[in-house]
Amino acid sequence: MRAPGRSTPLLSDVSLHLGAGERMLVLGPSGSGKSSLLQVLTGVIPFSQNLALEGAVHLGGVDATELPVIERSRRLGVVAQDPAAAVCLARVDQEVALPLENHGVDRSEISGRIDDALGLAGAGDLRERATGGLSGGEVQRVALAAALAARPAVLLLDEPTSMLDPAGVRAVRAAVDGVVERGESAVLMVEHRLDELAGARGPRGLPEHAVVLDGEGRMLAAGPTVQVLAENAARLHDAGCWLPLESELLAVVGHPGGLQAEPVREWLRERPTGEPQTAGTPQIDPPAAALGEPLLSARSLQVGHPSPGGRSARRRRPLAPPVLAGVDLDLRAGEVVALLGSNGSGKTSLLLTLAGLLPAQAGAVIGARPSMVFQYPELQFVGHRVRDEIAFGLTGSGSEVAQVVDRQLRLHRLEHVADRDPYRLSGGEKRRLSLAAMLAHVDRRVLLADEPTFGLDRRDTVATADVLRGEAAQGRAVLFSSHDLRFVATVADRVIVLADGRKAAEGETTAVLRDASVVQRAGLELPALVAWVLAEFDDVDAVRALRRLSAASAPQEPPAGSGGPRRATPSPAEVSR
Amino acid sequence: MSGAETVRDSPLARRNPTVKLAVLFLASVALLFVLDPVTPSVVYLLGLIGVIVGGRLPLRTVLAAQLPFLAFAVGVFSINVLSRPGTVVWQEGPLRVTVDGLIVGAALAVRTLAIGILSIGFVLTTDSLALMTSLHQNAHLGARPSYALMAGYRLLQQLPGEWTAIRDAQAVRAPLRRNGSVHRTPASFGRAAFTLLVLAIRRGERMAQSLESRGLGLQPRTVWNPVRVGSLDVVFGASIVAGLGVVIGIAGLLGVLRGPGALF
Repeated sequence: MRAPGRSTPLLSDVSLHLGAGERMLVLGPSGSGKSSLLQVLTGVIPFSQNLALEGAVHLGGVDATELPVIERSRRLGVVAQDPAAAVCLARVDQEVALPLENHGVDRSEISGRIDDALGLAGAGDLRERATGGLSGGEVQRVALAAALAARPAVLLLDEPTSMLDPAGVRAVRAAVDGVVERGESAVLMVEHRLDELAGARGPRGLPEHAVVLDGEGRMLAAGPTVQVLAENAARLHDAGCWLPLESELLAVVGHPGGLQAEPVREWLRERPTGEPQTAGTPQIDPPAAALGEPLLSARSLQVGHPSPGGRSARRRRPLAPPVLAGVDLDLRAGEVVALLGSNGSGKTSLLLTLAGLLPAQAGAVIGARPSMVFQYPELQFVGHRVRDEIAFGLTGSGSEVAQVVDRQLRLHRLEHVADRDPYRLSGGEKRRLSLAAMLAHVDRRVLLADEPTFGLDRRDTVATADVLRGEAAQGRAVLFSSHDLRFVATVADRVIVLADGRKAAEGETTAVLRDASVVQRAGLELPALVAWVLAEFDDVDAVRALRRLSAASAPQEPPAGSGGPRRATPSPAEVSR
Repeated sequence: MSGAETVRDSPLARRNPTVKLAVLFLASVALLFVLDPVTPSVVYLLGLIGVIVGGRLPLRTVLAAQLPFLAFAVGVFSINVLSRPGTVVWQEGPLRVTVDGLIVGAALAVRTLAIGILSIGFVLTTDSLALMTSLHQNAHLGARPSYALMAGYRLLQQLPGEWTAIRDAQAVRAPLRRNGSVHRTPASFGRAAFTLLVLAIRRGERMAQSLESRGLGLQPRTVWNPVRVGSLDVVFGASIVAGLGVVIGIAGLLGVLRGPGALF
């Protein structure tokens, strides 16, 4: 696959074969072309996007290369990456009925098939709902149900769990297993949340086949997932991919077996004292030592949306019911604080209120104007070039601004895209740009961040962690919301848990995460790694182990006995068996 | 079938949208040929009562919805009164009012209001998605344009939320006024509009892809919940058309009815 005017292909030498009842995972770092590969199979490329394509696509033994998207839809069920764009009608049942109507399913069967599909996607209770009022996770389940409804021969899923809570991820796994066991479908999926998808069985709980794309869109490996992960763990890890924990530990420690293996445990227990560490390894700050004065405080804060009807009406009408009430908090110089809570618990509303963007219904926010980065960096973009984006809103002479811009470009590794359009950056680059542009305002000493790692690959997540820790070390206060408890445990000094319309818990990260009832109330589950280090170590050592693992790169030589780097084996027969 | 917008349940709201649209069209065309002030006044009054009672709509809402029609009616009336030749009833400098101007102006103005009240009755009692579904099934509008419009409607529903999010996200780095509020300039408005446009275009494109990937456009297709034209809908349509015929007929018998000839 080539873009017009570019010499290097975006995807090349990709061959795969998916048999009936098989599951396959597409792995690769951000920007490697995983989504494009799925779009080539659906026909969106080349029929809706102007990209040149060579090679062939066969569906059900028929050459489908020349078939447009809707003809291919007879055999394909698709969940695209942006679920908000996947739900097009007003009601959930209409939405799921649409593919059935399009495929000419008999009227009398449709209602039952809707229930079937919603049940498989774990969304049985949403049938009568208006799609306008669904949460992101609910929308994603409905999109999955709509893809399942027509009982496609092949199900193509592009990050179907990005907005789901742990229960939602289990539902996706059950749905995938369900359609495969029924013998109806083959499944090809792109997914980041591999541990949650795999469940308790580790890599053996993942789809049984895998293909790996490298950063340039070439097929690096293909075969049984367990084998592909074992042979390529180090390379995938260094490319910045998310891996199942067992594979990540294999890549870093060089020993298989995950947390059960003694050498792995030994590595995590290791305490590199004194000796100079590699550049990326963060030091552990002595807990609660560096805390300065409060930079931002909230007192009896009541958070909620203004009543419908706009500004002029606000005085006369009663306020909309509060999302949160009675919130007290202090953010101090030098600390990173995480905001936890299930979907709809009011994390974003609280951040907007603290940022002064949503008027407080009651109570007060005390402190200078904070800065904020949003879950979707694109919403913030105002410049047509990366350079202008950083310069936006800065005061000072032209040369001063240029100096700040150059510094931020360098610090956030954006020099190579300085003159590009912000919209055309990769997901990780967009996040870095939003941070670089916001943090250029050095007078703002508080950074608020809403889901700053959403949609990022491992490398960009680690980079974001470094930025948040680095800003705190330089005297800023950081408050971020997140669902990713490993990230939270690695980065945050303190956590604030929101539940039932109020602040439900607050304290040092490790102390709060050790409290199972609080974690459950926040609608979260401890990842295996976090649970293990918390059980095994004291607070300081637990955080040290997590940070060391996040910062670690794979040893330069591939681990002994892994067979070394191997080119892909793109023979269809070999791939499928 | 309930859309996300709220249309109050009422006898009018339960009627088939295509039938309502057809009745509205017929009545509007018929009124185009009526050029006396009395007949459309009667139609207007009957329409007003019908919309308020049949649509269970508050008088206030209905009157407020008529303001644009009223403004247009006043304009039409003024132009005709001041510009139409005929028997002069009042003159002051270059301004001159004629009998013909008063009559034709009033006729056109009341006609505007009469068509206005019927349109308002249609819009306020019809769920837009039900209309699209009905047009697709009863008026044989193709599946692709129908569902594209419905998807576009959902895109439109999401825009206010997106707009707020973009304005918030872009306000973070904007300078403050002296009182501490964000200084929102016309340029900032333009930037936010540009972002919204980019996001809407991209989302629209993805929605189109997702509709296609679900097989929209394949033949033959089935319809899960057909929107039927029931006997009540037929009675409704026929009686409105007949009622209009009776009004025009009586007006003709009484000699108040005038056709397009009144213009010349």
